[in-house]
Amino acid sequence: MLVVKSLHAGYGLSEVLVGTSLEVKAGTVVALIGANGAGKTTTMRAISGLLRPSKGEVILDGTPVQGLEASRIAQMGLAHSPEGRKVFGPLSTEDNLLLGAYRRLPHLVGFHAKAAPDLERVYDLFPRLKERRSQQAGTLSGGEQQMLAIGRALMAQPKVMLLDEPSMGLAPVIVQEVFRTIARLKAEGMTMLLVEQFARAALDVADYAYVMERGRIAIEGTPAELRRDERVVTAYLG
Amino acid sequence: MPESIIAQMAVSGALMGLVYALIAYGFQLTFATSKSLNFGQGELVMVSAFFSLTLLTLGLPYLLVVPAGLLFGAAVGMAVERTGVRLALEQRSEGWILLTIIIGLFLFSFAENIWGRDDRPFPTPIPSTPFHVFGVDVTPLEISVLVGVLAVMGMIELFKRQTLLGKAVEAVAADRDAAELMGISATRTVVLSYALSGGVAALAGILVSPITTVGPTMASALVLKAFSVAVVAGLESGFGVVVIGLFLGALESLASFYLGSGWREAPGLILLILALAVRPTGVFGKAVIRKV
Ligand SMILES: Nc1ncnc2c1ncn2[C@@H]1O[C@H](COP(=O)(O)OP(=O)(O)O)[C@@H](O)[C@H]1O
Ligand SMILES: [Mg+2]
Repeated sequence: MLVVKSLHAGYGLSEVLVGTSLEVKAGTVVALIGANGAGKTTTMRAISGLLRPSKGEVILDGTPVQGLEASRIAQMGLAHSPEGRKVFGPLSTEDNLLLGAYRRLPHLVGFHAKAAPDLERVYDLFPRLKERRSQQAGTLSGGEQQMLAIGRALMAQPKVMLLDEPSMGLAPVIVQEVFRTIARLKAEGMTMLLVEQFARAALDVADYAYVMERGRIAIEGTPAELRRDERVVTAYLG
Repeated sequence: MPESIIAQMAVSGALMGLVYALIAYGFQLTFATSKSLNFGQGELVMVSAFFSLTLLTLGLPYLLVVPAGLLFGAAVGMAVERTGVRLALEQRSEGWILLTIIIGLFLFSFAENIWGRDDRPFPTPIPSTPFHVFGVDVTPLEISVLVGVLAVMGMIELFKRQTLLGKAVEAVAADRDAAELMGISATRTVVLSYALSGGVAALAGILVSPITTVGPTMASALVLKAFSVAVVAGLESGFGVVVIGLFLGALESLASFYLGSGWREAPGLILLILALAVRPTGVFGKAVIRKV
């Protein structure tokens, strides 16, 4: 569903990604783990088009998308829930969700009715968002904002979802809730690329995993294989 | 009866102030989505007024001239974005400041060459015979300014709140990258905001022309005061520009009455200097809401 081939990207003159390759098969969850600054966020930004790759390929459902505007790539079915959540602070919770479905909805009238089933589905997944539907997103708690960021990505009915550190800065109870949600989405057949600091939890939910070091993939394998790998155990699971 | 004179002055001034508010609102529209604005907006007001005047003299009815003038302003706004703003924003430079000033100068000499340097009257079917309300004389012309300004601002605010496209404009204003991730083209949203801003500026020109006459320099003072209003009100509050616009208009009118007409321009400049010194985010500027 998503194939990344020897991707190069960076900021200004400094190259961060030096030939990253990975693949996310349809219906699977793939974990991308690695130390802080390894280039995980940069990888996601280069896939979704927020950052223009200087070399390499990104293939979404058979179509090369590298170099396209982020909005084009999103319209083609890639949803990226970015690091730091990035909800639209001044807009209401529900408006944030509606904008998540922007690519599928009429832009002037009738969008609310058309989005109703999807809204119900997200509210069913996160009942707290329903309680807060008319509250400004910027005033939600960190955990609620994370649920909103995931819910907003789901609204697009994407082919692939990128989740960048959904547990960052959250209380342990909320982190558990986030991982339960990811497991539930996986059970529903969602294709996901997941970046996580909590490597253990990420491996528990993933079908396959990549370990990133200094801008390239250093180790890859099934979660069972990585758990047996001494380098992985000492560096990330210790 | 000095009270009634004061009231009269304040009311006529305040209605003029609504025109400042409308142009200031146009600044806010583009600033919200792109953090840029058209420093040649005064010239956009002016060429739109000339264009509308030409249509009027060709015999087009006023009710068609208004939408045609608005569309013309929107088109000029889009042209300004394409030629003066987009490249600079893509390169994350401040080049749009100089480029929009240059486009303004170009429009100015364009107008001088096409329409000449003289001020011309703007014949409007709206009468200027005053009638009496609450002890003050107002003309239907002044009422048309009030109605025109509030109607178009109200419509744009409704558009932003009630349509998904309008919400997308707000989303780009809040977080450009996140909006792109929703499939919203930030580039096209900026074009839309420049079109709206140009339309709004054209309306300001059409509404003010019967009062000020039409000439190449008609909008230079106007736009400076609109800029004061935008800065004082903050570059994000539509309600704020109306309040500050009304206030500044009334204040100017009283200043020129009591201190002499040479003082008319003073309040706008003093207000601008005070605002920049005391509250650079503007009186109505909201602090950014963000919680981690
Ligand atoms: N906006 C930026 N400008 C310049 N350098 C950046 C920027 N964002 C990240 N970097 C650098 O890129 C490298 C990888 O960062 P990142 O992709 O955020 O890592 P990770 O998500 O794995 O923690 C780091 O060295 C970081 O300093
Ligand atoms: Mg990161």
